[in-house]
Amino acid sequence: MALFIYGTATNTGKGFFTAEDRRAFFLRGYPANVWVIGNNEKGALWLAEKNGVEKTKSEAQALVTAEIDAAKTAWDNNNVEGESAEEKIARLGEKPSDVTLP
Amino acid sequence: MADYNAIKGRLVQTLSSDPTLTSSYEGQVWYNSTEGVLKGLVLLEAWSSSSPLGTARYSLGAAGTQSAGLAFGGALPPSPGFATQNLTEEYNGSGWSTGGTLGSARYYIGGCGSQTAGLAFGGNIPGRRNETEEYNGTSWSEQNNLSTARRSMGSSGTQTAGLASGGDIDSGGVTPVNNTEEYDGTSWTTGGALNTARSGVMMGPAGTQTAAIIAGGYTGSVTAAVEHYDGSSWTNATSLPGTRANGGFAGLQTAGLVFGAISPARTTSALKYDGTTWTSAPSLATSVGGNVGTGTQSAALNFGGSTSSTVSTSNTEEFSQSINVTTAGAFSSGGNLNSARWGTGSAGTQTAGIVFGGRNPAISTDLALSEEYNGTSWSEGPDMGQARRVVGRGTGTQTAALAHGGHYSSPSTRYKVSEEYDGSSWTNGGTSTNFHDGTMQIGTQTAAASCGGYDGSPMNETEEYDGTSFSTANVMTYSAYMGAAAGPQTAAVVFAGGFPGVNNSNEYDGTNWTAGNTTLSPNYGIGGNGGTGSQTAALGAGGYTPGPIYFSKVETYDGTTFATAPSLATARSELPASGPNSSFFAAGGLISTGTASNSTEEFTGETVVATASTLTTS
Repeated sequence: MALFIYGTATNTGKGFFTAEDRRAFFLRGYPANVWVIGNNEKGALWLAEKNGVEKTKSEAQALVTAEIDAAKTAWDNNNVEGESAEEKIARLGEKPSDVTLP
Repeated sequence: MADYNAIKGRLVQTLSSDPTLTSSYEGQVWYNSTEGVLKGLVLLEAWSSSSPLGTARYSLGAAGTQSAGLAFGGALPPSPGFATQNLTEEYNGSGWSTGGTLGSARYYIGGCGSQTAGLAFGGNIPGRRNETEEYNGTSWSEQNNLSTARRSMGSSGTQTAGLASGGDIDSGGVTPVNNTEEYDGTSWTTGGALNTARSGVMMGPAGTQTAAIIAGGYTGSVTAAVEHYDGSSWTNATSLPGTRANGGFAGLQTAGLVFGAISPARTTSALKYDGTTWTSAPSLATSVGGNVGTGTQSAALNFGGSTSSTVSTSNTEEFSQSINVTTAGAFSSGGNLNSARWGTGSAGTQTAGIVFGGRNPAISTDLALSEEYNGTSWSEGPDMGQARRVVGRGTGTQTAALAHGGHYSSPSTRYKVSEEYDGSSWTNGGTSTNFHDGTMQIGTQTAAASCGGYDGSPMNETEEYDGTSFSTANVMTYSAYMGAAAGPQTAAVVFAGGFPGVNNSNEYDGTNWTAGNTTLSPNYGIGGNGGTGSQTAALGAGGYTPGPIYFSKVETYDGTTFATAPSLATARSELPASGPNSSFFAAGGLISTGTASNSTEEFTGETVVATASTLTTS
């Protein structure tokens, strides 16, 4: 049995996940509203109750990668004339790096 | 039906509500006339999740107890990136903190003893090893070697009366052995041979040199065989109900508990043993193998292992027999901010919080706007006089907050002037001598301090605020900004910060700074309690290290030691956070470069409550 369920769901705020949920199953949020959820009955039920859309791992990874790639492009294109690489990092932060889902 | 009066010689009390439950009620029975049920305060058995190991690993060593455990060695997942570990972590009953490193990194390592007098021996680097090391609560020192280099052996006893039995040796393959060796604090001597040569056994570190138990393991295939040791020879005992290997064991020859294992699939199952009979026990929450255990049958600790052939785990679970129900601490979702942002100031608590300023990268704008939180939702409050980001976090309350430091990006301007919020509007406060971008703030609006910050480089300057003006105080022993802070002006702790991230901590008594223990790892952009926290009960949530890598991990500080705590659901950095541990919240922050979150997470601490059980006839 796979360890995780992958899905997308919009964090609607209070009550989206409870402390009881966190104790009952693994839950980790990623860019593009992707959630990695422990593969047990309560985890699966949580995604369904949140009107989430289950994805395969590769589909979920593709969504995260697309979001990060867009951020990388935005970072690459955000330049100030005469600015050094160090100054750019100080201004914008490091260039986004790849995120690999577990 | 059984007659309680005939058995006990007295009648069952009829109560309209459950009594106030204390340990004095253990074993008592009463009839709750309101609920119409028979109730009692009985021992409950359950596993509960606890804070994870700092480093996930399998086939590690174990020693100590449920409230003072020791984890050492082990390995990261085979694929990708297999690596043997020399890390030691100490458990205090709620979280793990860093201990001294082993002289020799090993996995499938043996271990016994206590957190302050531990023993590690054998293992695999790769290549079977015979090194022995003793732990004194701070550091490991090398001792005399085992006679037979081996790994995956059973281990029991203490630092001065240890036992190593079975395991497997280098042979071009896996060759189980039946050797036993006894340690007297100085050297190893030969003990009685196992009847069945085996490795990957379950044999708890709590056992003794003269009354040990070895269960399951590999003999070439997985076995269910069990043997007892009396200090000189092994005798066969009642076999496990099924085969299993490489699981955890806690307790003694006459009161044992096995849990997890590879049998051959990873399992959640647990079994109790009374010296004669194996019976089912409550299951672990997560299937695991290569895990280890320590403690007793009624107060056991399970940690580490692997959940598949490629994934190691940092999971920690406690098994308890108690009249109390323990509910682990956890973060839950709170209301979403109206404006996603990072580098935001914060104050207050989980039910009366405020955030102000920061930067919304989606609109490339530094913000002046504030938002107030009522425990459910955020509502927009009045704007500060000056839009600013990387403003200090954590001083004051929702109705008496202090914003200090920070900068505006275009045109680039740093600010020394503070602003005060009274629950309805922002007004200018005092002006500091130095710039304090990303300063770590403590205290209240009328007794605050801005600690460190950034004025072109990380700084250690401290300036105290009395509600009117800033005055220069003694400097910190390290320079940093965007770290965590907790406590009032006269008893505070500051830790981590950067850039790129350090693991220092400092304590402040209102006059002087002293260096404290190091955090579990270097961290920048971590969210702390601020002035509503305390020097002896602090939290640091999230953060960042170059990569860039955003953290979901959380650390606690108890006045002495940093330890792991339940993690955030979403990794984030430069997040506003505030509140004492019992009412801590974190909101917003960066989830990747250029992407801010609007989500809030609220912390609920661990609770331990005596709980009545409804009694039935079945």
